[in-house]
Amino acid sequence: MNRAKKSALRLSCSLLPGRIQDGVVSWFSKPLKVQLCGKITDEFLELLLGGMDLAFALSPGYRRNIQDFRATYVFKTRDSSVGVSAVFDNGNMSVDPTPRPFCQALVCFKDPHALWSFLLAKDQDILDSLLANAVDVEGNLNYIYKFGYLARDLTRRLGLA
Amino acid sequence: MSTITIQDLSLRDIRLSAQLMALREAYFQAVPEICAERPALITKYSLEAGLFGRDRITVLEKARLYRKVLENRAPVVWHTTAHKRTAAGMEEFPFENTTPFAGSTTSKFKGVPIYPEFMALALWPELATISRRKSNPYCISEADINTLNFDVFPHWLDQTIVELARARGSDEDRRRIQLLQKLVFFLASKPNCISHTIPDFSRAVSQGLRAVINEAQARKESAGDPSAKEFYQAVSEVLEGIIAYAKNLGNAAAAQSGLETDPGRKAALAEIARIYRRVPECPAESFREGLTTVWVSWTAVHLENPNVGLSLGRLDQVLYPLYRRDIEAGRLTIEQAVELLGYLWLKIGDHVPTVPNAGEQLFGGSGSNQAITIGGVDAEGRDAVTDLTYVMLRATELMMLRDPNLNARYHPEVHDGGYLRRLCEANVNTGATPALHNDRAVIRALTASGHTLEQARDYGVIGCVEPGSNGRFYGHSAAVLLNLPSALELALFNGRHRHFGLDTLISMETGDPPGFATFEQFKDAFHKQLCWVIDQAVALNDWLGRIHQSFYPTPILSALFEGPMEKGKDLIEGGAAINASGFAIIGLADVADSLTAIETMVYREKRIAFTGLLDALGKNYEGYGWLLARLREPEKTPRFGNDDPRADSNAIWVVRTLHEALQGRRNYRGGNYRVGYWTMTNHAGFGRLIGATPNGRKAGENFSSGLTPNSGVTPFLTAALRSVARLPSEFIDNGMAVNLKFTPDDGDRERMLESFVASVKGYFDATEDQGAGGMEIQFNVTSHQDFVEAVKDPGRYDKLLVRVSGYTAYFKDLNPQMQKEIIDRTEYRLSTGRAVPYDPFPLPQGAGHEQS
Repeated sequence: MNRAKKSALRLSCSLLPGRIQDGVVSWFSKPLKVQLCGKITDEFLELLLGGMDLAFALSPGYRRNIQDFRATYVFKTRDSSVGVSAVFDNGNMSVDPTPRPFCQALVCFKDPHALWSFLLAKDQDILDSLLANAVDVEGNLNYIYKFGYLARDLTRRLGLA
Repeated sequence: MSTITIQDLSLRDIRLSAQLMALREAYFQAVPEICAERPALITKYSLEAGLFGRDRITVLEKARLYRKVLENRAPVVWHTTAHKRTAAGMEEFPFENTTPFAGSTTSKFKGVPIYPEFMALALWPELATISRRKSNPYCISEADINTLNFDVFPHWLDQTIVELARARGSDEDRRRIQLLQKLVFFLASKPNCISHTIPDFSRAVSQGLRAVINEAQARKESAGDPSAKEFYQAVSEVLEGIIAYAKNLGNAAAAQSGLETDPGRKAALAEIARIYRRVPECPAESFREGLTTVWVSWTAVHLENPNVGLSLGRLDQVLYPLYRRDIEAGRLTIEQAVELLGYLWLKIGDHVPTVPNAGEQLFGGSGSNQAITIGGVDAEGRDAVTDLTYVMLRATELMMLRDPNLNARYHPEVHDGGYLRRLCEANVNTGATPALHNDRAVIRALTASGHTLEQARDYGVIGCVEPGSNGRFYGHSAAVLLNLPSALELALFNGRHRHFGLDTLISMETGDPPGFATFEQFKDAFHKQLCWVIDQAVALNDWLGRIHQSFYPTPILSALFEGPMEKGKDLIEGGAAINASGFAIIGLADVADSLTAIETMVYREKRIAFTGLLDALGKNYEGYGWLLARLREPEKTPRFGNDDPRADSNAIWVVRTLHEALQGRRNYRGGNYRVGYWTMTNHAGFGRLIGATPNGRKAGENFSSGLTPNSGVTPFLTAALRSVARLPSEFIDNGMAVNLKFTPDDGDRERMLESFVASVKGYFDATEDQGAGGMEIQFNVTSHQDFVEAVKDPGRYDKLLVRVSGYTAYFKDLNPQMQKEIIDRTEYRLSTGRAVPYDPFPLPQGAGHEQS
């Protein structure tokens, strides 16, 4: 989403009550909701980051999570066929379709289902992810925990928690 | 020294009051609640003092921070509400509470303390769902979620121990942190805490904290070293904080008393007010005041470090003079003493460790492992069992709680059969406690490891089973939990590990085993790989220790310890009288049996080539049924635990090798490294991460717990105990856990008890080859059928207490893998000493992923 569109959405949504804002986010995030309801595909990461980006733009409540927060995350597959960066900068989020060289945390995952399981499974089984060697994390794990919270908060706002 | 005046050692006529029973019931109903008070105060005052983003935090800055928290935390006299689980979710419930011990570790009745400086941020993803998680949920309010998410956690993103270590470390340090986070080779506990020690309560009880402050001020005046002056001021600051907290509680009790209309409650509150305004500042003058001093000091110590194995030590020794004085003066009855201890035991369990969901799978069901030690000998070697020893035993028996973890010392040359019989009887009555320690073997191990004889005789048990001199030994006995089979894995695969793929070199190449002409060559490869893993673990432990030195001095614990005051420095700087770091080894029996299997099958009998064995491991023994059957028959392939020197010699070699690999090393505080064999629940967690092993264990199966022989291959109790007792106890200075499961025989309780006593005595007296006898033993005395029923119907068995590997736990809280491990343990009939037929239990279902 470009900056101008984001600003326009942010402005128009700011007048709505919080629950309605979350409802708008939910309406715009239907493809992500489908994924979260059990149909994890190769688009999962893109949709998740896109959903977050949208929610930060539309929902001040969700945006509060990244006020004064600056961090870069890199997500990539083992075979490097997918590699994106999520950049947070004091209330703003952007998605860079390339893996940046410097980041707080790098998540390397076997496949989209492994990433979903790592971040969002109900009884999140990190040990199983490690056992299956399905996800590798490098860098500061605290940033992963924060990202995990953001992802779960999003699912709650989508009415899926 | 021994002064036994009570006639009936079992004190069977003593019962708990209805009020205490009701409070205990509320305790069992209450779900642990996350408490945001501590992290909010710590964060707020750290921000105010500018402590974030610094290169160092001094002991005085830390002390002032803690003093502020102690002065400003809410003084809760009596909790009267908690939350319980219902079909509709968490529901608040009220209860009556007239405990004589005001104050609490957190602001909750049963709290989960949060330490953002350490590992609490791992809870972040779960904050909103943790009250609904399948395994051991925590209650949390919306307000506390917001406090943690917005006001606390963001400030600590780069300030936790691990991140401070990563940012300041070399590439090698960072690589070791990465190795730690793989979980496969070892766990280092310094990212979470140091804990695992016993404070010295004796001065606080007998002289009061004001006397300690006065001494600190006098030493400050005369000290020439500025850092010592700073340390003494820090001691004064934190002790003033503890006194302030106690007085706040006293004042709150007085205020509540003024408003109270019920005469009984009014008087109870007034008495709390009187006592808390006196102690711990002044010397305790009664048994109850002594307990109060211990309790308030105990809550304060938890401010610095998460409580993992912080232990209360020899309370029956510290408090006996007050107890005896009150009894002799007629101010106290045995019934009242048991009741007071019951209330204190409940208080001690008022907090549970902060465990994220992934941790539940490794440590699920663990309490804080707060050990109390009773009995034994005194520093001069005289019998130290007193009436209070039996009173504490009775209180434990009646309360049946996970925490405190009771440990009893027994000296075969000092104590009589009546004492041992009473300890065994308590195990039958509770099913799981106390653990028994052989003074002769433990004292020998400690003196071999640097304790003086007097210090060794005055040992207490720390955490699970680790011995250390009471109040003067800063041993961080759980510094490293080493996955021993990982070293075997590296030897089997020439420096590679199946978990990471066999194309990735992890350590160093020590040769492909099929190329080894002799068993000695394989042992040599294992030895080298083991030393590599130890090198990584030691280097990381020392590096993390230095980070603790820079950022986490511990003035509160230092003020309640022997050594820091004399040396003028904090415990973390080496202030204790005795320093050490401890290794706990996981998987000894599996590695020893694997070595014996390789020796027997590949080299001695040549029944399979090493290539074939590796193929069998790769295929998880699929298609190798003949091999599996042979490996599981101790007559064909010797197994540790059958009094068979062919198998026991490999176990002894591993124990000796580990001792030699660690004995010459010095930690960051100048202490030595010690080796112990206890596993908590890691034998299940680590087991999940390792493929099939040469002893016939399949991929992902549990390792054997502690020093216990593998399940199902040791048919005779006496032989199993003789094998364990044969291990050189002088090389086991960090403790051991031998877990035995006894089937309660029906009918003749007297005969069962006699057999119980005889088996323990035989184990402790097994002193062939100049041995000191078995060192430690602990029991589960519950039938197989009861365990199976408890899996099916956890609600009906919600108080079923079990010994895991060191500590006690509620069976219902254990993860499925650990439940299976407990059920699968070799089970002996006490009447015959023979194992009942081995019948592995299917892994309880329920794990796995669910859509959110």
